Amino acid sequence: MRADDTSLSKNRIYFFAACIVAFFAVYLIHLFNLQVVNEEFYQERATQVTQRSVPIYAQRGEIFDRNYDTPVVSNIDSFAVDIIPGEIPAGERESIFRRLAEYLGLPPSEINRKIPPSYSNLYQPIEIKSGISLETITYLAEHLEDFPGLTWHSKPIRNYVEKETLAHVLGYVGDITREELQVLYNQGYSYGSVLGKSGIEKQYDFLLRGKDGKEFRTVDVRGRKVGDALLEDEPPVLGSNIVLTIDRHIQRLCEKALGQRSGAVVVTKPATGEILALVSYPSFDPNLFYDTSSAEAFRHLSLNTQFPFLNRAIQSQYPPASTYKIIMTTAIIEEEVIPLNKTIVCPGHFNYGDRVFRCHKLSGHGPLALFSALAESCDVYYYTTGAEYLGVERIVDFSRRYGLGEPSGIDIPGESAGTLPSPSWVSKTYNSRWQGGDTVNMSIGQGYLGMTPIQMANVVSMVVNEGTVYKPHILKEVRDPVTGDIIEEIKPEVLSTSTIRPSTFRAVQKAMRQVITEGTARVVITTDATSVAGKTGTGEAGFDDRWHSWFAAYAPFENSKPEDQIVLVVLVEAANDWEWWGPKAANIILHGIFSRKTYEEVLGSLRTWYLRAESRGER
Amino acid sequence: MRSKSVFGFDLLLFISTIALVSIGIAFIFSSGVTSTGIIYSNEYIKQTVWAITGIGLLVLFVSVDYAFIRRLSLRIYLVLMALLVCTLFIGRVVNGSRSWLGIWEFGIQPSEFCKIAVILFLAHILDKKNAQIKDVRYFILYLGIVLLPMGLVLRQPDLGTASVFLPVALAMFFIAGSKTRHILFILGTGFLLVFLTMLPSYEVYLAKKSIPVLNLLTNTQLAAYLICGTAGVCLLALTGYFLTKKPCFYWIAYFSLILVFALCGSLVFRKVLKEYQIMRLIVFLDPNVDARGAGWNIIQSVTAVGSGGLWGKGFLKGTQSHYRYIPQQSTDFIFSIVSEEWGFVGVCMVFALFLVIIIRGILIIRSTKDRFAGIAATGIVMMIFFHFLVNVGMAISLMPVTGIPLFFLSYGGSSLWTVLIGVGLLMSFHLRRFKV
Repeated sequence: MRADDTSLSKNRIYFFAACIVAFFAVYLIHLFNLQVVNEEFYQERATQVTQRSVPIYAQRGEIFDRNYDTPVVSNIDSFAVDIIPGEIPAGERESIFRRLAEYLGLPPSEINRKIPPSYSNLYQPIEIKSGISLETITYLAEHLEDFPGLTWHSKPIRNYVEKETLAHVLGYVGDITREELQVLYNQGYSYGSVLGKSGIEKQYDFLLRGKDGKEFRTVDVRGRKVGDALLEDEPPVLGSNIVLTIDRHIQRLCEKALGQRSGAVVVTKPATGEILALVSYPSFDPNLFYDTSSAEAFRHLSLNTQFPFLNRAIQSQYPPASTYKIIMTTAIIEEEVIPLNKTIVCPGHFNYGDRVFRCHKLSGHGPLALFSALAESCDVYYYTTGAEYLGVERIVDFSRRYGLGEPSGIDIPGESAGTLPSPSWVSKTYNSRWQGGDTVNMSIGQGYLGMTPIQMANVVSMVVNEGTVYKPHILKEVRDPVTGDIIEEIKPEVLSTSTIRPSTFRAVQKAMRQVITEGTARVVITTDATSVAGKTGTGEAGFDDRWHSWFAAYAPFENSKPEDQIVLVVLVEAANDWEWWGPKAANIILHGIFSRKTYEEVLGSLRTWYLRAESRGER
Repeated sequence: MRSKSVFGFDLLLFISTIALVSIGIAFIFSSGVTSTGIIYSNEYIKQTVWAITGIGLLVLFVSVDYAFIRRLSLRIYLVLMALLVCTLFIGRVVNGSRSWLGIWEFGIQPSEFCKIAVILFLAHILDKKNAQIKDVRYFILYLGIVLLPMGLVLRQPDLGTASVFLPVALAMFFIAGSKTRHILFILGTGFLLVFLTMLPSYEVYLAKKSIPVLNLLTNTQLAAYLICGTAGVCLLALTGYFLTKKPCFYWIAYFSLILVFALCGSLVFRKVLKEYQIMRLIVFLDPNVDARGAGWNIIQSVTAVGSGGLWGKGFLKGTQSHYRYIPQQSTDFIFSIVSEEWGFVGVCMVFALFLVIIIRGILIIRSTKDRFAGIAATGIVMMIFFHFLVNVGMAISLMPVTGIPLFFLSYGGSSLWTVLIGVGLLMSFHLRRFKV
């Protein structure tokens, strides 16, 4: 310490000064680090903060049928109206919303719900209604001074030209939901994306949707546009057009032949797996979802007890009933368990243990060999061969070779795999033992068995192709939306090949032909336009007076190139009044396809007893 | 850095001051212009008026002999204390603090001028013989002079302004020759107090797991036991010290007393401090805890500063500021705009000007023959430096966000007048440095 008692210590002053200079130095080094060393990082961050992008929505691809002449799904020019909440003068909010609501046909509460008062500082447009016509937009544009804060953007809507026709195949689109976005975010979807919700629209969304572009703008802290963007806009990429294997004329024919009966029709080309028609009734109009009352329409449809959203051709399983005898016949011939000419006597019933199983012909068919048994659909013949000659293992094995219990692989989401029971399946599912009676029941396609119509089509395809099944598919080509050039063509893909001898299949083909010429279907398959081979089926559904009516067939049977052949499966649910409509619808369809006639023309030319009733019923 | 003086007038100090004030007005103008060029704020005009009148005050304080002001220092101090008390009852609330005393449309912040009053009065008191300064009883008395206005400002509540008083006082004590251990006692208690106050919030927001030991702080009963225990240790040690005079007892008592004060203080602080005040300190440690809320200022400000680069984006061309990403641009975050638009070069310039003022201040402390002038100058230098340290530190996330203006640059009449009076006093000390 200094001797002078009142003077200030110089050392302390220097120390004080040194501390201050040290802090200056630290700050300067830090600032150098921020502004010079890491300048780019912060500049990028500053740009990021101030640049917002607005999506430029890509036009969704159109969908054509195989004729590629006119689209079955197109886009209609339409607009969506947005409001920028920050630009609405504070006092006028209510009156503007009221006028706008009146003009757009919305309840004012709807606008209030989408733009709560807490958004009043927001400068980003919020969509309040889409599907607005050009006239409405023109009116709004002319009266813009009455609607401060109003803007609009183009938002084309999907037009399903054929309405209820093809609805199950095409599906529909909708705005992406929060949950869907969480899953799909990494695939380039964003809020406001339109997403295929079912059918082809969903399956091939990645082809149809294209790529949204981006329009960049510089915004201030409240999201208000303040200047031109620093980044270049990204133009959108149009979605690809796709061509389906469906022939809309055949589709129409099938729909009309099925009429207003719950059921399904499948028409395929066995040589490629292409699906020419896929019908499910009842259907719905996908255009409904674009209406303002879309939520209402959706609820109404989903509460319908007939489940119009259900695609019965691929999502419903039914007991195959007598059509299953195609598989049984294959097994009997292949395994040579009984000579083809050896007869079994049908007394009208079959005793197994202490149970009695009846033939559909209660008086009995008498002695029958295999071909006659299939033609007459004699249950006792198959009870006997199934339970006593083949046994459950071989029946299950052959069913599996025909693809039962496995999805057909069709390119529409949500397919059912059907049910292929087996002793182990029963013990797993029902915790009970496989009874001998279960084998008897399974031999005529009843019991636990369940098949979808598309699986049935694959069974027939295997017979036609003598062992090969091509994966059924709906997509035929992907085409450039501008030039129409084919970008990708879908090649037939083998789903399964069987080790069963071709000769066996040829024998089955003959047996199926006999069903039409001499057997159960003789009276209804009256078409002279082609030669048909097939099998009827009448499935138990728990009613006494109504059954599922199956008809599984292919044509032409004779003198034909494989690529000209088609496979047809008709299923009419037991829910309808009993008309045995499966083979009857098939007759109309086959006649229409092979004589190139519309449904109406078929009704005019094909004079049969039931068609008169049908045309009467229509009136 | 000896200034050529015109009639003893410290020209360098004056020019630096004018330069900083001018830069301040320019950037207050910049902060009031939108990106589209619309001037929506007339703050720069008001600031110009404050600056001109403030320069007048500066000149007034240079011309008046500070000995005269010194004689009035007790009365000035008492008047300011009375004004602070008045503010608590009839003050205007701005930004959540009742810190404005208004007559018609005019308003002042007494807490700003109070800094000068405290500096003058404390310097007046500290102008004593060294022996007296070193006496712990006097030390406590001096401390009371500072703690009174600090407590009143805290009540407003204006944590930022309140936090200025203690460092200024400590610097003055240090230069006046207080015992280092007394100063360190206050410093230690202060830091420990902040630390203990923050720990429970740290557990909640940053560690995100339970730290059992912290129950000692949050559970009032356990904390009471801890305080009583430590206080007991302290008493025992003091007794031991008075009986045996062994230094070890002194130091045990010293440290345990720090702990007791910090523990008691932290209990009180956690009760008194608002959630947002705690969050400001939390986001200082990690802005992303509340990126859109309390952390927003820090993130936006650092982005603005960093994106300025070496040369800056150019005057009026800052993006983060003109798109209004930075709040309180003309007051608390004026430094962010300067650094964004003028870059590192501009920052160096501002730093240099501040450094000139501070070093001139220190030279005045060293050269003056008058003990009062030296101590008062220390207070003024520390006041300017502390504001600079906290405000700039806040803009570059080296300091927590407290609403302390950057002297000379930030918009605000009271703070500008305060600092100009301070500079005026410095120049007055310089002018009369040979007078004893």
